[in-house]
Amino acid sequence: MVAPLPDITLASPHPPPLPSLVNARRLRTQRLGRALRLWVPVGVLILILAICFLLPLVVTLPSATSGNIIYNNEPPFSPGHLLGTDVQGVDIVSQLVYGGQVAFEVGISVTVIGIAIGGTLGVIAAYFGGWVDAVISRVFDILIAFPALVLALVIAEGLGPSEMHVIWALAVFGIPAVGRVARGATLTIRGLPFMTAARLAGTRRWRIIARHVVPNIFPSIVTFSLLGLGIIIILEGALDFLGYGIPRPTPSWGNMISNGQQILSVQPEYVLIPSIALLITVAALNMLGDALRERWGAQ
Amino acid sequence: MALVQQTQLQTGGSGARDSARRITGSPVLRTVGRRLLAAIPVLIGVTFLTFTIMSALPNTTAQAILGLNASPGAVAALNHTLGLDQPFLVRYWHWLVNVLHGNLGTSIQGQSVNHELALHVPTTLGLLLYALVVSVVLAIIVATLAARKPNGIADRISLAVSMLGLSIAPYAFAFLLIIVFAVKLGWFPVLSGPVTGPASFFKNLTLPAAAIGFGLFAIYTRILRADMVEQMQREDYIVTAKAKGVAPWRVLIRHALRNSMFTLITVIGLNLGGLVGAAAIIETIFQVQGIGNDLLTGISNHDVPLVEGITLFFALVTVFGSLFADIAYAVLDPRIRYGSSTS
Repeated sequence: MVAPLPDITLASPHPPPLPSLVNARRLRTQRLGRALRLWVPVGVLILILAICFLLPLVVTLPSATSGNIIYNNEPPFSPGHLLGTDVQGVDIVSQLVYGGQVAFEVGISVTVIGIAIGGTLGVIAAYFGGWVDAVISRVFDILIAFPALVLALVIAEGLGPSEMHVIWALAVFGIPAVGRVARGATLTIRGLPFMTAARLAGTRRWRIIARHVVPNIFPSIVTFSLLGLGIIIILEGALDFLGYGIPRPTPSWGNMISNGQQILSVQPEYVLIPSIALLITVAALNMLGDALRERWGAQ
Repeated sequence: MALVQQTQLQTGGSGARDSARRITGSPVLRTVGRRLLAAIPVLIGVTFLTFTIMSALPNTTAQAILGLNASPGAVAALNHTLGLDQPFLVRYWHWLVNVLHGNLGTSIQGQSVNHELALHVPTTLGLLLYALVVSVVLAIIVATLAARKPNGIADRISLAVSMLGLSIAPYAFAFLLIIVFAVKLGWFPVLSGPVTGPASFFKNLTLPAAAIGFGLFAIYTRILRADMVEQMQREDYIVTAKAKGVAPWRVLIRHALRNSMFTLITVIGLNLGGLVGAAAIIETIFQVQGIGNDLLTGISNHDVPLVEGITLFFALVTVFGSLFADIAYAVLDPRIRYGSSTS
């Protein structure tokens, strides 16, 4: 069916090797490594989110707030309690799942508030410059020099601990941080030729900000926010741990660590299990942030 | 850079006529002066914000001093004596005037806040310096080993360890340290006792310093390693040094590391403020008698002067940290050297 090629003898049976600079196998491993660095943390995060938010919808978990004292201190893999129960007999898996929900609710809310308010202020400061920039930057300076922990603790002390208060207290920490990143990123692109071109073409200011500034600073904001999300989840745990965060008996990872602290020398697993959950979540967020920076930074 | 050029022009214009003039005209000093002036509104803002939110708490000072059985009349009288019935802005003004006279007020416990700070600041500073110095030294060693061969075995291990340090919550790491080194091995006490000398300093503060320092080490290692790798690949003077036949180690340490230190110094200066939260939490876990611990006690007692004093102290550390970073950068980096008048 296929006619024999006349010049078959001319073709070398061994194609000339690729130039040594581009090693095909090394290139493939590099590409694979890049893909893994992005998709492994994405997969881990999706898994954690699914466990925290979808699992309770599918499976009936034991109560995360109250337990039967008769079944307290059950070891892992006991019937009905995959990771056992705590001193009060409350199921540890349930506490982890519902505590994870709290961690993500707080973390994502704070991040969204930070991007919405801090990002807007940062862009405005850098784009308009002058006294606008001076005022906004000074406010950011004050908020950054202000220990966020003090504010968070005082809010909890005065208004009573609640998830909403934790979110607003941590937002005070997130807004200036995102704001500074947004300001810096806007400043670097402000003098670039395409911005001048847009201005010369008579584009309105808000349109320039929406169509030119925001898409260009978006990568820096997203990578920074992923790293920030990890820090916020850690801080949320710290507030719980100090007794100023999510009010008990609502489960949270910080509350679990705090509960386990009292019997640390006898049963360290009560502290270790939520700590490991915290570590995996934050590590996945940090790795995703790194991978995105690697991709977007190379552009 | 524009700022540098501007200061250069200004000094060129005013001229260095005599030595006193040269000192006041020094661009570095001018930068310091400008930054110190800019720090004043920040410090006022921070203390005012703290005063506002602390004053929003229910005023229990007089009740706390007189006890629960005090009559409302006695409470009101004491409030009047302490000046707590005055308007909020007047109270802040009094506080500010007192601070400018070096008096931070009296805490609810009846002790002078100056005395309280003098007693506990050395412990906290010692703890933070211990954590900072060890983490910087380790970060320099590890980052240099890692940057020698990017993607080599040392680099991969350092990346994994620093990712761990970046992701672990300091309080969780503190408990891990307690479980391993205090409970299982018994090398260090679970709760820190008072620091009396060098031996008790290391015995009591090593675990808290490790809990604070691991995260710092991770941040510093990542930044230093990334900066050194980039320098080794991009910078002309590295190529020149290599072409001259300078030994690879020497290029790495004398050229790349030296220049990357500026980035590290900036990051250290900017991060000082973030140590506050770490100090408060870690000191609580180990019961270190420092001001981080005092801060939490002060907040739960609604102790306005104590919390204000500690916040002011930490705000000063933050402001001077970033000032120090800027100045170190300007003074040390030959690429940003000012005109001849730099002393």
